[in-house]
Amino acid sequence: MKDDLSEYSDAALAVGIARYRQEALAEAYRRHAGAVYGLARRLLMVENLAEEVVQEVFLRLWNQPDRYDPARGSLRSFLLAQTHGRAVDMLRSEGARKQREEREARVTAEAGYDMELEVWDMATAERVRSSLAALPEGERAAIELAYFSGLTYREVARELEEPEGTVKSRIRSGLKRLRGELVAAGITTGGER
Amino acid sequence: MTPGRDDLDELLGAYALDAVDAQERQRVEEYLAHNPRARAEVEQHREVATMLSYTGAPAPEGLWDRIAEALDDRAPAPEPGPELAKVMPMSPRVTADPVPAPPAAAPSLAPRSVRRTRRSWTGVIGAAAAVVVALLSWRLVDVNRQLADARAHGVGLEKAIENLQQDSTTRRADLLSTDGRQAAHAYVAVDGTGYLDGKALVVLDPDHTYQLWGVVQGPAGQQVISLGVLGRQFDVAPFVVRQGTLLKLVLTEEARGGVPVSSQPAALAGDLI
Repeated sequence: MKDDLSEYSDAALAVGIARYRQEALAEAYRRHAGAVYGLARRLLMVENLAEEVVQEVFLRLWNQPDRYDPARGSLRSFLLAQTHGRAVDMLRSEGARKQREEREARVTAEAGYDMELEVWDMATAERVRSSLAALPEGERAAIELAYFSGLTYREVARELEEPEGTVKSRIRSGLKRLRGELVAAGITTGGER
Repeated sequence: MTPGRDDLDELLGAYALDAVDAQERQRVEEYLAHNPRARAEVEQHREVATMLSYTGAPAPEGLWDRIAEALDDRAPAPEPGPELAKVMPMSPRVTADPVPAPPAAAPSLAPRSVRRTRRSWTGVIGAAAAVVVALLSWRLVDVNRQLADARAHGVGLEKAIENLQQDSTTRRADLLSTDGRQAAHAYVAVDGTGYLDGKALVVLDPDHTYQLWGVVQGPAGQQVISLGVLGRQFDVAPFVVRQGTLLKLVLTEEARGGVPVSSQPAALAGDLI
């Protein structure tokens, strides 16, 4: 029987990983490592730390496959949530934050850093950016600072000079509004591959 | 001061973005443990956050090799035998189809075996005869344990069933209880991916769970494998049988968490046709 893993759904891949099939993990890596690495690098801005996160995330999937429940969302979403959590933990450690700040200082002087990123789905990325841009400024800024800079909502509040409670509420309401925008833009969130 | 329910609800967005401190994270997680609605909200926020990451960069060359190497480091000596033996321990001397080669597009992987911790779950259980649900091995592939809380995500699975129903190659099993009062329907694609529709089943009490088992024709004869611990209620449960031919599906009622070996009678059972 032909057993082409590239045809498998993410849910089927997850089951394959749980059954010790390294080729299933390899296929999951082939599909999602770019997104995982992209997010880690955007957060940490340090290549070797981003690589470390990618490695941890995929090893964790291998070691604890039952933590991923296909019924609760896509594998990509799961992996990116893991990536974000781990990258933020690293970012909040002093060393990584310092490295990021140093890198950030250099990056701001490097024109076109974003151009280095390979956009794997430009059309979708553009629609997401448009949806984000459509949010009220306070919500958009709070979400971006929390998600892409790895700040806590309290740090975001200080950064934006807004009350903590306001920022907390804006993140929540902004995410709800953004979901609506994404659905209206025809971008599904969740579900299987 | 301990935050109230409304305060915790307000924190859900920040929590989903990892934008809370350790203490708040703990409080939110305690709250989520008892609040399916809040859990569903967090899942939705995380899906949205996923979309924000809709750009990527090629992972650096050689990174996969390092991951594969790390798997190697953790692996004990290769365990001989077919993949079905990994899913469900069978007689140690069985021989079977080789594990399929990885797809060309995937990074290369040396054929290695499993980690020690996993192998301990699947300690040797003697292969039992055919259809009797008496000697069952257990795989902790709890792919569906919280489906009851995830109705919002059920659309994709429903769609998968719809697609299978329209496919002439799909095999179907109608699982019936012995008294004929309960029924569940399963659909299995040619690649072994299946979905069990359990919407019509009764909700079990909180200390019990449905567990799905498959009777598989493997190279060493008929074997019984666990296909998932499904929770006390579920809408649609996905499962996969990649090696061997699935002959029959059996649903049992077990203590919460599932069991490695079932001594329960079949609550529902049905042959694949």
